Amino acid sequence: MKETPLSNCERRFLLRAIEEKKRLDGRQTYDYRNIRISFGTDYGCCIVELGKTRVLGQVSCELVSPKLNRATEGILFFNLELSQMAAPAFEPGRQSDLLVKLNRLLERCLRNSKCIDTESLCVVAGEKVWQIRVDLHLLNHDGNIIDAASIAAIVALCHFRRPDVSVQGEEVTLYTPEERDPVPLSIHHMPICISFAFFQQGTYLLVDPNEREERVMDGLLVIAMNKHREICTIQSSGGIMLLKDQVLRCSKIAGVKVAEITELIQKALENDQKVRKEGGKFGFAESIANQRITAFKMEKASVDTSNIEEKAEEIIAEAEPPPEVVSKPVLWTPGTAQIGDGIENSWGGLEDSEKEEEEGGIDEAVILDDTKMDTGGVSDTGNQALGLMILISFGYFLKGAPIVLSDSEEEEMIILEPDKTPKKIRAQTTSAKEKAPSRSQVKRRRKKRTAN
Amino acid sequence: MRPHVPPVPADTLLAVVKSWRTVEPLEYYRRFLKENCRPDGRELGEFRTTTVNIGSISTADGSALVKQGNTTVICGIKAEFAAPPLDAPDRGYVVPNVDLPPLCSSRFRTGPPGEEAQVTSQFIADVLENSQIIKKEDLCISPGKLAWVLYCDLICLDYDGNILDACTFALLAALKNVQLPEVTINEETALAEVNLKKKSYLNVRANPVATSFAVFDDTLLIVDPTGEEEHLSTGTLTIVMDEEGKLCCLHKPGGSGLTGAKLQDCMSRAVSRHKEVSRLLDEVIQSVTHK
Amino acid sequence: MEVAKRADRKVSADTGAESSPRGPVCSLRHFACEQNLLSRPDGSASFLQGDTSVLAGVYGPAEVKVSKEIFNKATLEVILRPKIGLPGVAEKSRERLTRNTCEAVVLGALHPRTSITVVLQVVSDAGSLLACCLNAACMALVDAGVPMRALFCGVSCALDADGNLVLDPTTKQEKEARAVLTFALDSVEQKLLMSTTKGLYSDAELQQCLAAAQAASQHIFRFYRESLQRRYSKS
Repeated sequence: MKETPLSNCERRFLLRAIEEKKRLDGRQTYDYRNIRISFGTDYGCCIVELGKTRVLGQVSCELVSPKLNRATEGILFFNLELSQMAAPAFEPGRQSDLLVKLNRLLERCLRNSKCIDTESLCVVAGEKVWQIRVDLHLLNHDGNIIDAASIAAIVALCHFRRPDVSVQGEEVTLYTPEERDPVPLSIHHMPICISFAFFQQGTYLLVDPNEREERVMDGLLVIAMNKHREICTIQSSGGIMLLKDQVLRCSKIAGVKVAEITELIQKALENDQKVRKEGGKFGFAESIANQRITAFKMEKASVDTSNIEEKAEEIIAEAEPPPEVVSKPVLWTPGTAQIGDGIENSWGGLEDSEKEEEEGGIDEAVILDDTKMDTGGVSDTGNQALGLMILISFGYFLKGAPIVLSDSEEEEMIILEPDKTPKKIRAQTTSAKEKAPSRSQVKRRRKKRTAN
Repeated sequence: MRPHVPPVPADTLLAVVKSWRTVEPLEYYRRFLKENCRPDGRELGEFRTTTVNIGSISTADGSALVKQGNTTVICGIKAEFAAPPLDAPDRGYVVPNVDLPPLCSSRFRTGPPGEEAQVTSQFIADVLENSQIIKKEDLCISPGKLAWVLYCDLICLDYDGNILDACTFALLAALKNVQLPEVTINEETALAEVNLKKKSYLNVRANPVATSFAVFDDTLLIVDPTGEEEHLSTGTLTIVMDEEGKLCCLHKPGGSGLTGAKLQDCMSRAVSRHKEVSRLLDEVIQSVTHK
Repeated sequence: MEVAKRADRKVSADTGAESSPRGPVCSLRHFACEQNLLSRPDGSASFLQGDTSVLAGVYGPAEVKVSKEIFNKATLEVILRPKIGLPGVAEKSRERLTRNTCEAVVLGALHPRTSITVVLQVVSDAGSLLACCLNAACMALVDAGVPMRALFCGVSCALDADGNLVLDPTTKQEKEARAVLTFALDSVEQKLLMSTTKGLYSDAELQQCLAAAQAASQHIFRFYRESLQRRYSKS
């Protein structure tokens, strides 16, 4: 489905509002939307909501052999998916420009900033290292995907625990969570992306643009920063020229926002850990707000299954017993056999050349008769029924057609036709029937000849 | 007085019926089904002629060609060596794959396997897994070092409905045809030595047979649907059963609803189909081994 | 004898530890559902069965690609996205099962030449995933206001080595089970819309599972109804 284009008057309206320092959702210029972080029951699973933009993050790990040039380093892999759920314009399985840009930016923000200690992910140098895979799914697109994705990625990585391993000689032992507590990743710092949208060639600036604002903006500046105010990556796109002062001002704002967000993340992580330690309820089920009328919960329900056995027995007793098998397989040649007295496939008739038919027809007359007796009875009645059916159907068909025949004519036809059509059809199909066996007989004979 | 209309000649009649079938295929079918028969002359519970040929491909380790009416599936099994999986060192692999090339029907395009081919492959993999036809342990040559991989390639040559039954049958027939050479591991060189003179059949532990049904107008069940019938039906159902009457698969991919009683009827039909097919298969295999 | 055994189990289930908040025999895990939680799709629902959670979004009836257009009914598409990695053959198979189930109940003839797209995102898998996908899809279709002749629900049953029946199994129970059967049932007559199974079982066991699933479906449909009643309680 294509994206609905933005109308000119909507565009003008949005720009006018921005000029008047007003935003449609009531925010101030430097306001960030509300962030909500919830965790799943698995380690390394979280949903981050930035206003209405929603990203699901999941971290997983696997033991692999390391890259040749980096034998002692673990591998980090990021994959952001723009699901069609997020917006109808996103097509599944297509690498759009936007997707490539976002993935590249995420990698720069999280991998190249060395926020994760990849050397601690090495198990046996040159042989086995952990590959950490971060899957991010955009669930709802309401602008500023990159900020939400970067928060989701770092939160999921902080939340993740990998299974413990021990190395004794050459043997690598993996421990299940029951045997040994899984271990967290070692994370040096938490880089977070902050987006700034520019309008009217950089005259106006907004923090955390939503989807509508993104569609009318001229340029975008993304700054990735950690709480120590160290810039990890910076990217300006959209082709606008920015002054040094503008960039500096943005980095100052980013510093404030990153500090706030980091604090929030830490609080959320601590909270989740506390609940897990105390054995309380956790997971997404707990994050659904009870007071919403769109949400509903049901405690576990026991199902009365006392009478299912009787019910099952009743049904089985009532059913017809399996019919006795009557058809006997027909062996054509060693390795080829046939079963069934239904219709022949349409191949037999098409493939045969006249010659083969003649040969087979004369030489193998006796065998032919036998096979015909086997299969002939049933198929004949079938054909007769076919002929009759055609007639009956034809009668109905004519009634609906514009040409109206009188009743007498129809009767006449029904009396008249069975002699003509069925004969014709029967003649055709029986000849096909004769052909099929004759061909294989010929084959068999030929084989014998060559064997001799 | 009505005007006299001459009787319609048979050719015209057939032509009209033919065009009716093209314009209103569903109505055409309903007329037949009302009379408990089908346009190709079969009764509702009747299978098409099933032909099987085993050992059709000489280069494969095991092969079979199955024809069910016009639907034709060929299965070739190739055995290769591989290291067993890390988490199960005493097992081999069975890798089924179903290919629906453009050759078999105009519905299919060239390129990567389409949805139908993927779903059929998954079904065959499920049947293999559920019925335990081949114990993976039987394919192990030396634990942790060497095992057999059976690549089971199923190719449809002509698609006229009921591909699942034909594929399951072809796979079973081909597996029964597989002969693997004896392999010993030379202890000095740690290399595998293949003795091509001493071949043995695979231990086929179960005989799953699939029986497919199509549901017409939410009520009527017909057996072994053709391509046209599948297209017009409101749902399909496939039952895979082994020789003890145990179900390995009850595959009903959506469509019209069925009651438990209807299902039970289908199962009785599946039981008798299993008898038919296993008799056919036994006969074929005997005819080859006796020679 | 059999009944006594069951009763025993039920008692042990009720006194069970908090970590496994559900007995091994014939009960459904706790259910939760939230509708209309995403702003972009026309209908959305998040469905939770115990720790299994699936998010569904529905777009439609909407513009359809010319190549996929059907002249007399709506084109239904189901996309299932796994949480880790890219979708594979197993997902394709599940997509098709879900799509055919939806097609059986959605009145597509009312919206010819349009597309109805259901996108399912696995949020966490803790057993009975396909059943949860079906439930999420149904609730999302309801939220989108797509006309349907009936509702549908998914129920999973597991049979353990002794032939005991477990409804709505967890991952652990599924792994230990001899057979796992998943059904989709409609709300009008509890007829079987979809079924897919794993493992070996007899026809008597199948009928028992189906009967149990039909009993369980009553609970699920009641859950649907109550959740919708709550949703439309204020107008």
